[in-house]
Amino acid sequence: MSAEHQHHSQIDEATWAKSLILFGMGIYLAVLIFTGNLANYINLRFAWLAYVGTALFFLLALANLYACLSPRRAHSHHHIGWDSLLIVAFPLLLALLIPSRSLGVEAVSGGIGLSPVGVEGVASLNRNPLDRNILDWLRAFNRASTPAAFNGQPVDVSGFVYREPRMGADEFMVSRFTMSCCVADAYPIGMPVRSGAASDFAPGAWVRVRGEVLADLFGGEFAPIVLADAVDSIEEPAQPYLYP
Amino acid sequence: MRIDHLKTASPLPLKRVIFVLLAASVLSAAIYQALRAGDDLYLTASVFATRFLGIFIEAVPFLLMGSLTSGLIETFVKTDDILRFLPRSRLGAALGGTALGLIFPVCECGVVPVTRRLFRKGLPLSMGVAFLLAAPFMNPIVFASTYIAFGFGGVLIGRALLTVLVAVIVATVIGTFADPREVLKPTSAKADEETCHHHPHGGPSLRAKLFSAMQIGADDFFEMGRFLILGSALAALLQTFVPQDSLLALGAGPVMSVLFMQILAFLLSVCSTVDSFLALAFVNTFSTGAIISFLSFGPMVDIKSTLMFTGVFRRKIVLYLVLLPFVLNLLAGVLINVALGY
Repeated sequence: MSAEHQHHSQIDEATWAKSLILFGMGIYLAVLIFTGNLANYINLRFAWLAYVGTALFFLLALANLYACLSPRRAHSHHHIGWDSLLIVAFPLLLALLIPSRSLGVEAVSGGIGLSPVGVEGVASLNRNPLDRNILDWLRAFNRASTPAAFNGQPVDVSGFVYREPRMGADEFMVSRFTMSCCVADAYPIGMPVRSGAASDFAPGAWVRVRGEVLADLFGGEFAPIVLADAVDSIEEPAQPYLYP
Repeated sequence: MRIDHLKTASPLPLKRVIFVLLAASVLSAAIYQALRAGDDLYLTASVFATRFLGIFIEAVPFLLMGSLTSGLIETFVKTDDILRFLPRSRLGAALGGTALGLIFPVCECGVVPVTRRLFRKGLPLSMGVAFLLAAPFMNPIVFASTYIAFGFGGVLIGRALLTVLVAVIVATVIGTFADPREVLKPTSAKADEETCHHHPHGGPSLRAKLFSAMQIGADDFFEMGRFLILGSALAALLQTFVPQDSLLALGAGPVMSVLFMQILAFLLSVCSTVDSFLALAFVNTFSTGAIISFLSFGPMVDIKSTLMFTGVFRRKIVLYLVLLPFVLNLLAGVLINVALGY
């Protein structure tokens, strides 16, 4: 066993590990795409990024594997340390250990916004009230000249339950995170709900709320409050976030 | 005897792999159990995981593209080719550096490995710095996303002008450090001789070159990937523990709004190809100057690119690379606000 051989086998170990991590990352992205869990992380407008990522991971992994299997081929000559390999494997470890989840009520830190995010188009105003989601409602409400303009309009929105200590026993907020690019910019918004059944739902539970709108003061500012006729438990939607 | 000597000199890598893997799995199992025990802690960890993986998933395709580009440059671009087209003056080099982004379309995750590779191929310092700062904006995808988000108008033009202006100024300032060896880490400085020991057997066929490019790309991915991952983790930690609306309340007024948006750009570490859509979310809340500074500063410097800079530049230069663009963009943003009478 010569020193040179030792050196080469060491490089080979690292190359094997690199191939393994690259394959693992490619598989991880592919799994996210196929299970639909990708929607938990990025705005699906940019789903093509994950496709590109998967393809490139597999390409690089195959090139490295090829290098492992044909020792006479060129090896990369600068050594990648084990610390680098471990750090790069960290996202995979995290993805394996912690089940994929969207941002929910636990991720709300410091309250839910009542103002809409993004540019307020007229589309939200013209939309049939029953087709408006929470973001559409807040936008339409913010554009209206008088808050009372929407009083009595029918509402049908879904979101997760959020509750603050200052709220009454018959109140909660039906909330969603908005997301422009990825969870880095996720921001929670919501509409206050008044319902006799409010206490039946735990914080974080996904609900569909139907009723009518009343413009009223909520925490010192006018908000579109939902006077609920029905609050039903639902499954978390496939697209948990609203895209501004 | 000889084998024993070898073993003590450097332990068998396989043993090290097994040891490291064992240690990692024991540690993660322990953490996992601890998290399951404390429900709140587990939920917090879950929020952190979602935020971290979200940033990582969105950024990693761009790092891959950048790493592959770096590998292709290493195998296909000769140092002579670069040296032949170099502008003579420092200002010319800085301007040329900003235009270089059009030739190598990369965003901020991809630009660092490419810049490092170009430095090793002998690119002058000021040109490389200008490229590093401007390239994340100077590419067709970012033009397109800014145009889609804001249309052709003040924001798009302001973003382009401010990016080029700041990149050229910073590049010229750093370019006055005459010796690249005082600026760059040894691994990034120009190699004294072309390291051409990749193909000892046979001629470098196109196929072999492509394979070599992919292997170098993979190495770059691992070397730069660790900074991306540490940066994403840091950004995710901050977002998990610092409430966003406590920051929003601070962002009023012509100066504070710019300052706030720049800090936000630094913390969020969103990719330049998609940051326009993010900026759109703040159009109603923040001044135009703040939006333009956000779009100009964000692609130049954020948590993850700062960490990646540390893999290329010496620490003092990293500080300049972060602070100079910050101050210049802040000034510009405030001036825009004053000019618009905000």
